[in-house]
Amino acid sequence: MTQINICQQFSGGLSDLFKCEAHGEYQRIRTPYLYPDGDNIDVFCRPQGDVVLVSDLGETTRWLRMQTVSPKRSPKQKALIEDACLTHGVEFYKGMLMARCRPGDQLAAVTFRVAQAALRVSDLWFTFRTRSVESISDEVADFLVERHFNFERGEKLAGRSGRAWTPDFHVRAASRSSLVYVLSTGSRSAARSVVNQVHTAFFDLNHLAAGPEALRFISLFDDTADVWSDEEFRLAEQLSSVVRWSQPEEFANLLEAA
Amino acid sequence: MPLTNAEFDAILNDETKRVVGDLLWQEDEDHSPSVEFRAEVLSDTGWPLFVKATYNSLIPALSYALILKNVGRVYALDLGKDHHNPQCNQVGEKHKHKWTEQFRDKEAYVPTDITEPASTPVAVWQQFCAEAKLTHDGAMTAPQPPTGDLFQ
Repeated sequence: MTQINICQQFSGGLSDLFKCEAHGEYQRIRTPYLYPDGDNIDVFCRPQGDVVLVSDLGETTRWLRMQTVSPKRSPKQKALIEDACLTHGVEFYKGMLMARCRPGDQLAAVTFRVAQAALRVSDLWFTFRTRSVESISDEVADFLVERHFNFERGEKLAGRSGRAWTPDFHVRAASRSSLVYVLSTGSRSAARSVVNQVHTAFFDLNHLAAGPEALRFISLFDDTADVWSDEEFRLAEQLSSVVRWSQPEEFANLLEAA
Repeated sequence: MPLTNAEFDAILNDETKRVVGDLLWQEDEDHSPSVEFRAEVLSDTGWPLFVKATYNSLIPALSYALILKNVGRVYALDLGKDHHNPQCNQVGEKHKHKWTEQFRDKEAYVPTDITEPASTPVAVWQQFCAEAKLTHDGAMTAPQPPTGDLFQ
């Protein structure tokens, strides 16, 4: 096959990879691009005034939400979506990836931009904790960086018993510093032992919670799974302030409080 | 350790799996055209299992999935979206993902026992529960379609 034939074959076959058909009030373009599980990426078009709206109609974020029990995306994941949209010149509006094909624009080019953005946004899947790329502690660290908190991760501290403990974060804020344990498990049966372990650690470290530079003890519960009982929250509250990862603002406010 | 085929089969064939309480379709965090719900799946074996559902009435596209905490999605029904298997065959707009050690959740097949269309989420839920050996002790009301023009 000569070089010219390669180009002709490629150009000629390209359109066959895309299937365009009427779909209600939209034209649906089924692309050969795939979400990470193999589902096809569809892009929908609809004239509006003198432009054509090109959108995934929120199917990419819907696909992402179907892969996780987390009700909300992390700040890092939101930033990655913004980055993908910026690269491809796509607007993120109400969970939809959207672009306008204005007079003089090529519809194919705009469609490719939206499809490519969908492809990149769906790759946020690789940042999900179930994919073993990222842990909840990584998410918390990202949050602390984003909020400009100074912190040390995995610092070893000696308890009164002589045993060494490793809180997840030692956070230094303007008014007061805090030791943070992140409590996370997917199993109700393991939930109690996780709380007991942190309770014991804070008890053994309680000499650090005294004096003019007393550290605040914080138990940060990963509540993306409903595995914690009221008893477990009450136990943690005895020696620490309890916050939930689903409410990161409360966590930030607690770190900043005197 | 990834989930084994035997473990997945044990989860799927466990007839004590149940969802208790009414299921309410709600807006997602983006206020997108889709609605969703999430519910814990209880069972005598105690697997940390959840059911997740999303419905986009603009397409219409509907998905129900079983998600195992710390593993991810292990079983899912998708209506309204085509699928391409690792073997390079297209499966079609009605397909079901099923966990295997080889392909994780990437391989799908056509579920012949799902006969209701994507536009009827309550009827599809009943069929999904039947095949997934899941009982629902509660009610599900049909989701409300989005109002107004989303793009204005």
